[in-house]
Amino acid sequence: MTKKYRLLALLTAFLLVFPILFVVMLSLGKTWSYPALLPEHWSVATWSSLFQDQRISQGIVLSLIISISVGATASFLSLLLARSIAYSAHQRQWLVGSYLPYLVSPVVLAAAWQYYFLRLGLSGQVQGVWLAQFLITLPFGVIFFNSFWNSHIRSLEQLAATLGGSPWQGFWLVSFPLAKGPLLICFFQSFLISWFEYGLTALIGVGKVQTLPLLVFQYVGEANIFYAALASCLLMAPPLLLLWINKRLVFIRSEGMEDQKE
Amino acid sequence: MQKLIILGILFLVWGCQSATKPNTGNVLQQPWSEIEKKARGTTVNLMMWTGDPLINAYMQNYVVPNVKKRLGIDLKIASGQGNLIVQALLAELQAGKTESELDLLWINGETFYQLREIDALFGPWTDNLPNAQYIDFSNPFIGIDFQQPVDGFECPWGNVQMALIYNSAQIPNPPQDRQALAAFLKEHPGKFTFDNQFTGMTFLKSLLIDIAGGAKELEGGFDEKKYLTYSKELWAYLKNIQPYLWRAGKTFPENVAVIHQLYASGELWFTMSNNDNEVDNKVTQGLFPASSRAYVWKSGLIQNTHYQGIPQLSKNKAGAMAVVNFLISPEAQLKKQDPAVWGDGLVLDVKKLPQTWQTQWQKLPPRKYVAPRSELNTRALPELAPQYMIRLAEDFRKNIIEK
Amino acid sequence: MLARLGLLLYVLLCVVPLALGLGYVAAYSFGLIGLLNHGFTTVHWQAVLQDKAFWQSLGFSLYCAFSSMSIVLISASALLMALRKQLSRGYLSYFIYFPLVLPTLVAAFICFQLWSKSGFISRLLFQIGFLSNLEAFPEFVNDACGIGIIFTHAFMATPFFTLLFLQLYKSEKIQALQDLALTLGATPGQTWQKVALPILWQKSIFSIFLYFVFIMGAYETPLLLGRQSPQMIAPLIIRKLQKFNLQDIPQAYAITTAYLLLLMGVAMAVLRNLKMRAV
Repeated sequence: MTKKYRLLALLTAFLLVFPILFVVMLSLGKTWSYPALLPEHWSVATWSSLFQDQRISQGIVLSLIISISVGATASFLSLLLARSIAYSAHQRQWLVGSYLPYLVSPVVLAAAWQYYFLRLGLSGQVQGVWLAQFLITLPFGVIFFNSFWNSHIRSLEQLAATLGGSPWQGFWLVSFPLAKGPLLICFFQSFLISWFEYGLTALIGVGKVQTLPLLVFQYVGEANIFYAALASCLLMAPPLLLLWINKRLVFIRSEGMEDQKE
Repeated sequence: MQKLIILGILFLVWGCQSATKPNTGNVLQQPWSEIEKKARGTTVNLMMWTGDPLINAYMQNYVVPNVKKRLGIDLKIASGQGNLIVQALLAELQAGKTESELDLLWINGETFYQLREIDALFGPWTDNLPNAQYIDFSNPFIGIDFQQPVDGFECPWGNVQMALIYNSAQIPNPPQDRQALAAFLKEHPGKFTFDNQFTGMTFLKSLLIDIAGGAKELEGGFDEKKYLTYSKELWAYLKNIQPYLWRAGKTFPENVAVIHQLYASGELWFTMSNNDNEVDNKVTQGLFPASSRAYVWKSGLIQNTHYQGIPQLSKNKAGAMAVVNFLISPEAQLKKQDPAVWGDGLVLDVKKLPQTWQTQWQKLPPRKYVAPRSELNTRALPELAPQYMIRLAEDFRKNIIEK
Repeated sequence: MLARLGLLLYVLLCVVPLALGLGYVAAYSFGLIGLLNHGFTTVHWQAVLQDKAFWQSLGFSLYCAFSSMSIVLISASALLMALRKQLSRGYLSYFIYFPLVLPTLVAAFICFQLWSKSGFISRLLFQIGFLSNLEAFPEFVNDACGIGIIFTHAFMATPFFTLLFLQLYKSEKIQALQDLALTLGATPGQTWQKVALPILWQKSIFSIFLYFVFIMGAYETPLLLGRQSPQMIAPLIIRKLQKFNLQDIPQAYAITTAYLLLLMGVAMAVLRNLKMRAV
């Protein structure tokens, strides 16, 4: 029985990891014609040529700054906003507004917002790109946290209030500690939404705010699949690294919790 | 509360409409030395497509440092294709901006037409460039863009000839016209297709010209009657070969890059390119098999030019002009034409150049996988008026894709 | 007070920008603004609403989102049921995050390189003698049924929902409820079917709906893995917005407005319905 599950776990892990290994492999190829299973010629020239371009490292730093700050701000704020909505009488109506950014591709949204960003003088600016990305990640967090603010949590806060705590104390001392796990998932997702954003960044930033996706995304759709694969690796590596750090934190915490229980 | 919000929004949407005043300035009246002086120490934002590693390397490793060293200009490259350029400039005009975020644009006929439609381009400025004297404006493939005279509103940067690419190891004698293609496809179904975008539509235009009996017939502005007559025959022809196209013609690759990929893997036997030099470029990268060859078939394929344009609202027109003057200098053009660098076609008339440069040109390594341009030129077809492309794209969808 | 302030911020940061965007798009579609428009007109709306491609596109988007989310919910639930322990600690708890780091365009690219007729899977089958030539490989991408689109999105969304379910499973103390059900005489299967899964699905209904509309609005996947007809809604809009004919831009905005209003209506109805049943 356990053996069967172990096998199933292995198979699942393989399916999850395989696409990424496949892309890494392609990024090292040079020619790959049918029916060769693996590229016939290998080359690290693709990697070294891109790394010589110092714009790439600058792009990575800029992207990291934007995405981490957007992710952190949006996830924390959305936790608070979702709370307000959960306490309001028209929860559903409010929430509908949060779905809108996901109804159409960000390219369309960008076209609709471009006018206002131009009027506000934010077009072509890092601040403008930051704001635009923040505006599309925030609703995600609000929806994400909607189920967090269930009656159970709310009654805990009420309990704190009856015991004489202020609403802020109720939030900070009671709910917030419980929200840490979801906050991490939400942060990671918001970070990713921001990290991968291309269409919105290109239009609001007028191609001048050169985040990593802007620098390498055009390769992904182009003829050279090896560059496309390399660009994909570059886009995936920082989130994977973040994941590794993040995961360690989660690990330590959850194992600590298990210990307390036992 | 809600009504207030709505009212506020309506106000914001309408309230901010204002007419744009183009800030032409007096750049055009100034002598060149003045322009170069004004350009020194400024930044020029060039928006261009950045999907090719060789082109990017040419820009980053050659153009950017040289422009900095010789002209003192910081050239910043913003990534964005034609549609993004149009969208960005259209939005700026709609928002009543007086200054654009961009100073220079890499465009071709389609984008040029759209930008002229919304009056977003600055000009005429190309005559002011000292190096413009070497440009071969008398060549209709350079001086006329989609049947519209460029009139100094965009500066030629590169000239390319559409070509079909095939694997000579698989196909010793590639088809030389549309009848031969049809016969070939019936023997080898599924090995050919064209894309649903610019390159594919350019291929359809070439077919249309062939059906019309030559470019003369479709010269000048858009002619509805002629279009209907000849396009009917075109759809009939495509209907006939459709079952023998890739995926039985039920779907077409969204862009030419996908066709290149499918050709590289061997799923397709043909690909096509708007640039006759691309085959050299792709074989050098190791992407295409070395037995790949490019050719222009007997009935001809379209030749066109791509350009540099300056937005009407650019803050730094002097800087943009100085950069373009470098881009069309014999040195930069020579470098660009080298198949190992980019392999983009020349817009200069070599005969007009000083003798020293002429000899430099003779030393350029010949391209390996396609015949020299002089041989292909006899088969070059001109671009048609832009409306032909718009109509072909719409009717292709109606008659072929949605049927 | 805190809640009031939150609502105000929500209006400012979520509702107003969207209303502004919607206002702009709607005004454009009626010819009220825009460089190439000449005053109020309904011709763009008429053109869109009479266009068969628009309705087809709506149906096809709905179909893709529905198929994809069905696969996601089934596989995420199955993963939770079968591999709960492995997903909480050990290597799988790490690997489950991996598909999340794929941008949509990259996921589509990988899917194409794996499953096209000349892709990796086809080569593998050829090498082990299953295929005589690449033409014999079935169509998984650019196919009529959107298989490539559906599975790519399913692959990207399943880990997210698995993680979400895992989180909820702990926070809602579902294990305890299941144990209770067991002592009351339910079979293990019933504790999932009647207790755990309904709670999980109901608790994550907002996220499910979010992902549903997110897939409906997908752009990159259908562009690379789909066909030109039927076309999903986002490629249709972008085609009108960015292709050769500038006169089509108001139509693009008319489609956007129609689509947004339609889905907002549906969202209202669905959410109300679900909430009432839950109460």
